[in-house]
Amino acid sequence: MEGLRFRNLSVLFALIFTLFLFTAVATLFFVPRPSEILKALKSEEMIYSLKLSLITASLSTLLVILIGIPIGYALSRFSFPGKSAVKSILDLPMAFPELVLGLALLLLFGNTAFGKLLSDFGIKVVFTKLGIVVAQFFTAFPYAVRVIHTTFEEISPRYELVARSLGYTEFETFRKVTLPMAKGGLLASTIITFARSMGAFGAVLILAGGSYMNTEILPVTLYLNISYGNIGMAITSGIVLVVVSFLAILLFEKLEDEEHGAVRG
Amino acid sequence: MALLEVENLSIDLGEFHLRDINLTVEKGDYLTVIGPTGAGKSILLEAIAGFYPLRSGRITLNSRDVTNLPPEKRGISIVYQDFVLFPHLSVFDNIAFGLRKVERDKEKVKGEVEHIAEELHISHLLHRKPGTLSGGEQQRVAIARALVVRPKVLLMDEPFSALDEKTREKLRKLVKSVIAEYNTTVIHVTHDFEDVFALATRVAVMKDGRLVQVGTPDEVFSRPKVDFVAGFVGTNVLKGEVIGKDGSLTLISVGGVVLKTADEAERKAVLSLRPENVLLARDPGLCSAQNVIKIRVERIERRGHVLWVHLDGKIKLKAVITPNAAEILGVKEGEELYAMFKASALKVIA
Repeated sequence: MEGLRFRNLSVLFALIFTLFLFTAVATLFFVPRPSEILKALKSEEMIYSLKLSLITASLSTLLVILIGIPIGYALSRFSFPGKSAVKSILDLPMAFPELVLGLALLLLFGNTAFGKLLSDFGIKVVFTKLGIVVAQFFTAFPYAVRVIHTTFEEISPRYELVARSLGYTEFETFRKVTLPMAKGGLLASTIITFARSMGAFGAVLILAGGSYMNTEILPVTLYLNISYGNIGMAITSGIVLVVVSFLAILLFEKLEDEEHGAVRG
Repeated sequence: MALLEVENLSIDLGEFHLRDINLTVEKGDYLTVIGPTGAGKSILLEAIAGFYPLRSGRITLNSRDVTNLPPEKRGISIVYQDFVLFPHLSVFDNIAFGLRKVERDKEKVKGEVEHIAEELHISHLLHRKPGTLSGGEQQRVAIARALVVRPKVLLMDEPFSALDEKTREKLRKLVKSVIAEYNTTVIHVTHDFEDVFALATRVAVMKDGRLVQVGTPDEVFSRPKVDFVAGFVGTNVLKGEVIGKDGSLTLISVGGVVLKTADEAERKAVLSLRPENVLLARDPGLCSAQNVIKIRVERIERRGHVLWVHLDGKIKLKAVITPNAAEILGVKEGEELYAMFKASALKVIA
C-alpha cells in the first residue's frame, strides 16, 4: 500500500515536471508570430550570427576532440607523475562560472607576457573571432575529456595487449583497435562538445566581446536583442540555437544506431 | 637448447608479484600452470608476452634475449578467458588481423584463415560479428586468431573457464588436434585439472608468486614434491586395466576391484576421481552411483572447513566430507564403510 502510493506519486511528479518543461520549450515556439520569426531569420544579423556560430563551434569541437583524445587516452592507460593533479586541473573549468573562466582567459591573453608574445606573432585572441573559438574550447573541453576518458576506461586493455601480441605497435594498435572501439563514445563527446560550444556565452562575451556583426554568435544575438527590446530577434536566435542542438542530437542518434551492432559487439 | 627460458624473473605489480621464476619450455611442450587464485599465474603469462617490465630476470626465446623487446616483436600469441575478440571486426577480419601484418598477399591471407577456420569448425561463421556468437564459438575464433600467425609460443589464460562443461570438453579435443597440426608450443593457465590430464605434457604449480613444482602430470600428481602441491592437487589417481564394457560404460579393473566409468578407454587406463565426488555410506542400499566399494577408514584429517577421509582397501581413496556429515554417519578411524561414486565422476585421464 505504502509502496503503491509512493510509486504513483513519483510517476505523477515525472509527468508534471515533463509537462512543465515541454510547455516552456513550446512557449518559445508559439509566443512570437510566424511572420516575425521569418523576418528575423532573413535578417542580415541572424544569418551572420548563425554562420559564425556554426563555424566557430565546429572549429572548437574539432580542436577539443583532437586534443581530448590523446589526453583522455593518457589518463586512462598510463600512470605518470602528477596524474591526479592533471585530472583535477582539467576538471577545474567545470567548477568555474563561465564568466569567471572568460575573465581568466581575458587576463591570460591580454595582460601577460604569454598573451603579448602571441600578439607579437599576430595571434590576437582578445575581442576577436579567434577569441570565440578559444572561449568555446575551454568551456567545452573538460566535459569532452571526461566522456573520452570514460570511453577509453570501458575498453579493456586486453584488446590492446592481444593486438600487440599479434604484431601491432602501440600506435597501430591505437588506430586499428582502440579508436574504432571508442567510436561511439567519441561520437557522443563530439556532439556534447558541439552543443556546449554553440551555447557558450559568458566566456565568449568576456574574451571575444559580444560586438554587433563582428564577434556575434547566436547566444550573443539573443543577449544583445533582449537588451534592445528586440523580442522577435531574441526569440528567433533562441529557436535557432535549440533547433541546431536538436539536429545535432538527432544526427548523433542516427549515427549511433548505425554503429550499434559494431560498437556493442 | 630450450625454446623458451625464463631466468630469475621477478615482477612487482602492486598487490601481485612474481619471485625468482625459473622455467624452461621445450619446443612442442604443452605446459599447464596451476595454482590457487592470486598465485600469479596470469601475470607470468603476461610477463612472458612482454606486457610488463621486469624487476629483474631474463627471458630468452630461441636463444635470443627478448627481455626488453616489446610484445609485437616477440611472436607470442595470447588467448584470454573472455575471448577479447575485436567487436568492430568480422570473424574473418579478427582471424586475419595478425596475419595481415606480415602477409601482404590477400589470397594467402584468405587461404590461411579459411584453413584454420575449417580446423576449428568455424568456417560458417566467418562473415559474422563476434557479438553474435556463442561462448564456445568465440573462443574458437580467438584460438584461430592466435594460432594462424604460427606463434613461437601460444599462451592461454584459463581459455575454457567461461564455457560449460560440454563445450569445454569439445574444445579440448579441438585444441589438441589443432595444436598438433600447427606444432605449437603452449603455456596454458588453468584451475581445471581436466585440462591438465587431457592436454598437458608438463605441469607447473605456482603459489604466492613462486613456482613450487614443475614436472610431468604424472610426477606432479603422483609424487607431489611439497605438501602444498599434494594438498592442492588432492585428486585420487587410480591405475587399472580395461576388461570390457557394460552398455555404454567401460569396466576397468583397479587392484582387483571393477570400476565403471562413462569415459572410453583401451587397455591400460589412468583414472582421476575428485575426492568431493566420493560419497560415504553405512549401507550400500539402492542408489544411482554405479561404483560401490567396501572400504576401511584409515585416517580422518581436518583441513579448513572440511574433513579429508583417507580410505584403504583393495584401492586407496580420499573423500571430502563436512564435519556435520561425519557426525551423522558416525565415521571413525578403523571402521568399514561403503564408498560410492558415479561412473561420470570417474574420469579417464590417460
